Amino acid sequence: MNMDVELINWIVIIIGQILITIGVFCDFVAALLMIRFPNFYIRLHALTIGSIGGAVVPAVGAALIAIGSPFLGTFRWFLAGGALVVALFIFILGGAGSHAIARATYRAKIVEYRPCYIDQLAEDIGEDGC
Amino acid sequence: MKGTRARDIIFITLIIFAITILAIPTLLGALSSIPPIDLRTIAINYLNNTYNPFNQTLWTSSPEAVAAIVWDYRGLDTLFETVVFYSAIVAALALYREILGEKDILKGKGLSVIVQRATAVSMVGILVVGFATILHGQLTPGGGFQGGAIAAVTSVIAIVVFSRLIIDKSRLSYKRLLLIRNAALVGIALIAIIPIIPFMFGDHTFLSFIFQNQVKAVNSFSYPQIIVDVPMGGSIWFYNLFEGLAVITAFSLAIIVVFYSEELSRKTIEGGEIGF
Repeated sequence: MNMDVELINWIVIIIGQILITIGVFCDFVAALLMIRFPNFYIRLHALTIGSIGGAVVPAVGAALIAIGSPFLGTFRWFLAGGALVVALFIFILGGAGSHAIARATYRAKIVEYRPCYIDQLAEDIGEDGC
Repeated sequence: MKGTRARDIIFITLIIFAITILAIPTLLGALSSIPPIDLRTIAINYLNNTYNPFNQTLWTSSPEAVAAIVWDYRGLDTLFETVVFYSAIVAALALYREILGEKDILKGKGLSVIVQRATAVSMVGILVVGFATILHGQLTPGGGFQGGAIAAVTSVIAIVVFSRLIIDKSRLSYKRLLLIRNAALVGIALIAIIPIIPFMFGDHTFLSFIFQNQVKAVNSFSYPQIIVDVPMGGSIWFYNLFEGLAVITAFSLAIIVVFYSEELSRKTIEGGEIGF
């Protein structure tokens, strides 16, 4: 019985560490692409890689590591709950925030949009795409 | 370009100079040893008395020593801070007295549906955090003002995201916000003078203090100490609650007034020239 619990703790911790590693990778990729991508809208994609992959995923991983650490006592549930709530709110607000940035930029027409391959929003509104 | 370069160099030199001026005395120990090695007597007194169930002569039943000091040991000071804040908001509202409580002319739609729904979810979270900070002021860091400031963020976000129209549509009109705020301030005053009410009404044997929280040597009056197993901090909990409500409504009022559209708020600015 005791061995089983210990095994489950180990598995949970290793899954958490894998998630945090994915988060580190996503943050690195986001920082790199923020410089390398050609224009504003594609850089917005790098921004969301940073906020979802680089913040939500490691927050869930931190929650799993806290759950699998019995030496923290009862407080591990507080840590895990806090991390999960933070992950939930970043998950909701990261997407909505980047959407708001993209929408405001598109409507204000302040960003040069080049190279432009397709502009479906303009076609929907009835303007010329690209 | 030459000018900006010279300006940058001067600016950087000034910053380094200022940091050095601040850092050298600190390193030489002008602020005494940091951190102090031993506790000062005043700190020892507060730590011994704040939550001491075995010697209840000077205790506050609040484990959070800062809340105990702010709302009990030097409660009158905090009362006057609240009065200063109250007067500041009154002054800010008085500047806009021509248009207070009016509906705005603009019919904005706010941001897109996606942003509105995401904001609606997170507004609930902000309110929960704010009220948790207010109601746990006697247990955790924070308290009435801090929690109120957190919760007041919701009104800023609501006005920005849902447009000003949501204020005119909602039930939290100008008059109701003002009513809640005044009721909260009356609550603070009442909690402060409830201990001396028997004395005021002729019972001259009942000696007590304004801002009394827990039982003192001269009388047996006491606000609730512990409910179930949670230390309630006596009057500190009530003060935090009322202060929090007052701060939420005060910030919301100020923000609602600031966010009037230009046509309306121009009225107040032009007032003097037209001859009100």
